[in-house]
Amino acid sequence: MNKKLLIAYDGSGPSEKAFAVALDLAVKCRAELLVLAVARPPEPADDVETEAILESAREHYEGLFAPLRELAAAAGISAVFKVVVGHPADQIVRHAEEFGADQIIVGHRGKTLFQKWLVGSVAKRVLSYATCTVTVVR
Amino acid sequence: MTETWALAALWLGLALLATLLSIWLRVATALSEIVVGTIAQLVIGALVGGAMLGTGESWVRFLSGTGAIVLTFLAGAELDPAVFRTKWKEAAAVGLASFAVPFLVCAAVARFVLHWSVPSSWLAGVALSTTSVAVVYAVMLEFGFNATEYGKTLLAACFITDLGTVLALGIIFAPFTTKTLVFAGAGVLVFAVLPWLTPRFFRRYGNRPSELEAKYLLLCLFGMGALATWAESEAVLPAYLIGMVLAGTVGKDHHLIRRLRTLTFGLLTPFYFIRAGSFVSVPALIAAPMTFLVLLVAKVTAKFAGVYPATKLYKSPPTEAMYTTLLMSTGLTFGSISALFGLSHGIIDQAQYSYLVAAVIASAVLPTLVANAFFLPRHLLGASGERRAASYTSQQETPGRVGETVKGESQ
Repeated sequence: MNKKLLIAYDGSGPSEKAFAVALDLAVKCRAELLVLAVARPPEPADDVETEAILESAREHYEGLFAPLRELAAAAGISAVFKVVVGHPADQIVRHAEEFGADQIIVGHRGKTLFQKWLVGSVAKRVLSYATCTVTVVR
Repeated sequence: MTETWALAALWLGLALLATLLSIWLRVATALSEIVVGTIAQLVIGALVGGAMLGTGESWVRFLSGTGAIVLTFLAGAELDPAVFRTKWKEAAAVGLASFAVPFLVCAAVARFVLHWSVPSSWLAGVALSTTSVAVVYAVMLEFGFNATEYGKTLLAACFITDLGTVLALGIIFAPFTTKTLVFAGAGVLVFAVLPWLTPRFFRRYGNRPSELEAKYLLLCLFGMGALATWAESEAVLPAYLIGMVLAGTVGKDHHLIRRLRTLTFGLLTPFYFIRAGSFVSVPALIAAPMTFLVLLVAKVTAKFAGVYPATKLYKSPPTEAMYTTLLMSTGLTFGSISALFGLSHGIIDQAQYSYLVAAVIASAVLPTLVANAFFLPRHLLGASGERRAASYTSQQETPGRVGETVKGESQ
């Protein structure tokens, strides 16, 4: 039952690994991919800067998606690439439900104590709240 | 000039440090710059002397003031005029409640609980009445409500709240004289002519490397700013209004807005926010933390009392209304502009300024920390799945503000 896979992608090394694992799995299972990048507004969101950051994030991820699209196309896999806004764990769980994902694949990233306090561990929160299988790639 | 360049290097060094901190800690640059300004003044003041930062230098004050004016203009230009035209009644009701209740409650608390003077109390009311459009905008995007009637109305309401703040700042503390009438008359004329003249002027002469658009806009902002201060009002008032009236023309020109942002974030706002932070007195905060807490509680309670009934009036589901209300926190931009206006005009002293800025920062940061500490995926808070799905679909089909485009599929 791995027909729909969601990959949480942030351009980091672990998320590149997560994409590679997901692509491999998708080829074996003939699954659809949803590659999700989350643009996170600053805390607290401030006037003018927030819109600038979201614009910049969209362009950044569109650039990163280009080679991934080629890899997916070369493997003959149907893949959708999305950039959404919000808390990463929240958006991953929400879009997994809306996509009907059978599995979420996320990379594991180390964070500083302050970042964990402010943002929390994305992988940990996805594990806590997801209603489907979650794979954390190290 | 050596001293000037050295001082400029010091300020830009602090700005760079603040930007790095904001990237590492994922916090707003404005917040980071205020904190860096406070710590820099504390450390440099203790080691070398308080004058080292040169916050009173005329060119530092000019760059700082220009930062506030251009930032306010850009904030006004983010308004969606089409939504505002169709939803102005609802937006005005929610926005006015969101401004008036905290304004009056916080002013009353400052006057009768903290025993501040009448002008200081009014200033406290203004500084703590603001709402961060950006926070609400981000929440709307997260919920997927930015394309719904509810989300659009609430976003438009935030502009009314901020308009209330700049109007209060520009009117309450200005003496009503013939100068005021001249300023008001010129303002009405300029605000009526600019939306007609600006797009035509830009079409005829714009889009050249000489950056005519930036010079034209700065001329308008400085000209009206000069008239406002001549009338003993505040320069950010016409800047915000110019931004609002040009939102449908200049605000839609993404390339121009991005160039203005480069100028603003790259040079101007670091001077504004670091300077604003440098006036915060840490000893005053340590000496009387209860004053800060009283202002913070008054602000959060009053905002809740003002916004929650208004959101219910427009039939927002309870969980969404509660969440939205909590996140209609104080905006750093307008909160700090109001407080600095009070300090620079002698309406409040440095200790009162410190309490206000601390309350502004805390009311902006606390909801985030609380939301993350008790994290629950926001779409599980009870929002209607059907409505969410509908808004999700419409966002994918509707180009417009950045968030809506961001939501779209990129395949």
